[in-house]
Amino acid sequence: MKIEDYLAQGGVLSSPDNAPPRYRAELLRLMATFVDSELAAAAGFADMINAGPGIPERIAAARIVMEKTENAGRVLRIMGDFGANTDRYVGAHPWADRLAREADIGATRREGDMRLSVFNYPLTTWADSVVMHLLMGLAAEEQLGEFSRVSYGPLAEAFREIAPIEAAHTLSARKGLEHLIDTGTDRAALQASVDYWWPRVAVSFGREVSSRAATLGAFGLRHQTNAELRGCWERRAGAELEGLGLTAPQG
Amino acid sequence: MARFRKLTVTDVHNTIRDAVVVTLQPEPGEEAVFDFIPGQYLTFRRDFDGEELRRSYSICSGRGEGKLQVAVKRVEGGAFSNWANDELKPGAVLEAMAPMGNFHTPLDPSARKHYLGFAGGSGITPVLSILKSVLAEEPGSEFTLVYANKAVSSIMFREELEDLKNRYMGRLTVLHILEEDAQEIELFTGLVDEAKCKALFEHWIDIESVDTAFICGPEPMMLAIAKALRDHGLTDAQIKFELFASAQPGRLPRKAVAKGSKAGKGTEATITLDGASRTITMDRETSVLDAALAHDIDAPFACKAGVCSTCRAKVTEGEVEMHANHALEDYEVERGYVLTCQCYPLTDRVAVDYDQ
Repeated sequence: MKIEDYLAQGGVLSSPDNAPPRYRAELLRLMATFVDSELAAAAGFADMINAGPGIPERIAAARIVMEKTENAGRVLRIMGDFGANTDRYVGAHPWADRLAREADIGATRREGDMRLSVFNYPLTTWADSVVMHLLMGLAAEEQLGEFSRVSYGPLAEAFREIAPIEAAHTLSARKGLEHLIDTGTDRAALQASVDYWWPRVAVSFGREVSSRAATLGAFGLRHQTNAELRGCWERRAGAELEGLGLTAPQG
Repeated sequence: MARFRKLTVTDVHNTIRDAVVVTLQPEPGEEAVFDFIPGQYLTFRRDFDGEELRRSYSICSGRGEGKLQVAVKRVEGGAFSNWANDELKPGAVLEAMAPMGNFHTPLDPSARKHYLGFAGGSGITPVLSILKSVLAEEPGSEFTLVYANKAVSSIMFREELEDLKNRYMGRLTVLHILEEDAQEIELFTGLVDEAKCKALFEHWIDIESVDTAFICGPEPMMLAIAKALRDHGLTDAQIKFELFASAQPGRLPRKAVAKGSKAGKGTEATITLDGASRTITMDRETSVLDAALAHDIDAPFACKAGVCSTCRAKVTEGEVEMHANHALEDYEVERGYVLTCQCYPLTDRVAVDYDQ
C-alpha cells in the first residue's frame, strides 16, 4: 500500500522516516505556522506584562508568555525530528516586531515568518490586549481542535497537550475582560478593540477556499475547511461578546 | 543535529529463520544516552558501496531487562536487513543515534489498566518491549496481544511470549492469528481486518475495559484495526500507532547525477511539485524558492533562513550553490538535497524536484 493511500484513508504516521517529501513539507509548514505564531504572541504579550493593572494580572500575563513559549518549544522539538535546527530557529527572527496599528495586510505573511497575520499587529493598552486574547484564544481553540486530529501522531499528541493550556489562557482573558467591565472600563473603548481585532482574527482562518485544501485533506492534515472553522468561531465568539454586553461586528 | 554513537554487538541470534535479535552494548559512559522508553527505535547508519544508508529498528527488550536489543527481519532486496542477517557477528561495531519515537505510554506502578496490542509480523518488536515493561512495572495491569503472522514458522519471539505468559500468569493473553496455517478455532485464521476485529471484540476481548491500544504493522492492517477500535468507542488519544517499516525503500538509492554546462547569465529552471513540472527563466541572484514563488508555484517554505528545512528539494539536473545550510545533513547534501530558500543556480539549466 502506498503511504499516500494510507494517509488518504485516515492512516497515522509516527516517524519522519515514513513521511513522503510533500507530506513532510506541508507538515513542517503547518508546524512552523504554529511555532511562529506562539513565539510572536509570547513576544508581543511580554511587553504588556507591565501594563497589567495589578499583581494578579501581571502574574497571569507572565504565565501566558511562559506557557506560549513552552508550547512553541513542544512543536519545535517535532520540527527538529524532521531536521529543523532547533537551536537556531528561535534566534533567527525578531518575533517581537510589529507593523503599524493601521497597516492592512490581510492574510499575507512577512518574509521569513509564518506567524498568522493577526500577530503582526501591535497591542495598544492592557484592555486592548485582553480583548485580542479572548478573540484569538477562541479562534485558537477551533484551530487546535482541528490540529489535534492531524495524521502525524506525535504532533496530534502534542496538540492534545497544548489545547487545554491554551484554553486556560482564553479563560483568563475572559475573566480579565469581566474584571475590566466590573471596574468601570469605558465600554466604548472595549468595543473599539473588538471592532479592531474581530476582522483580523477572522482572517487568520485563511481563505474561504484554500488552494491547498485538497492536498492537505488527502494527507490527513486537515479535516474541516477554513470556512467551517471560522463559522464555529464566529458563533462562539459572538455569544461570548454578547454575554459581556459587547457586540460582534457584522460581516 | 543528529549524532551517531558506537554500539558493540555482544550477541546475535535467530528468533526465526529470517530474523535476528541483536544485543548491543554502548560505549562506557554512554549508557544513559541509550536509556530508552519502551516502544522507541534506534536509527543505524552504515556505508554500502560508499553510500550511506540509514535504517530504523525498534528496540525489543523491556526496560527492566538491562539490555539493549533490536530485531532485524530480512526484507527482500533490503541492503541493511540482509547484511544484518548474513554478516553481523558479535564484536562488530555499529553506529546509531539515541533512541527516538513516540510509540509509548507513561507507566505507573499503581496503575490497573488493560492494554491491547496489535502486531503484524516484525511489528511485534516495539509492542514486545512495551508489553514486557508493562508486565514488569505495572503489577496491577494486564495486556492482551493480537499477533498476526503468515504461518507458525514466521512468528517472531514465539517461545519468549509463551514464557512471559507462564511468568505473568493471567496477566498476558496472546491471540495468534495466522494467515495461512489452519487453527483449531476458525476465527484465528486469516487476516486481521475490520471484521476479524469485530468478531474478536465480541467473544475474546473485552474492548470496553481497554485503556490504551497499540498498533504496529503494515498499512492496511493499521487502518482496519484503528477503524474497528474507533467504532467501539476508543478515542484518538487512546490509540497509539507505529507504522511498520514496509514503506522504507530497502534498496540503495541511485545517486543523482548532476550535469550541466556553466556559462551565460540567466538560468532555465524546471521545478517539479505535486507531479507537475514547469520550466521558468530566472536570474542567478534570486533563490530557486523565490523564483518559483514569483511564478506562482506554490513551493513549500517557512523560515527562509536555512533553518527549518521545510523548503527541502532535490536537484536532479545542473548545479546550485547553497549559501546557508543549518538543517540538512551531509549525507542529504551528498544525495543532491538542497534548501531551496538558500540556493542559487550556477548553470544554464537546473531542475529541482520537491516530490523526491
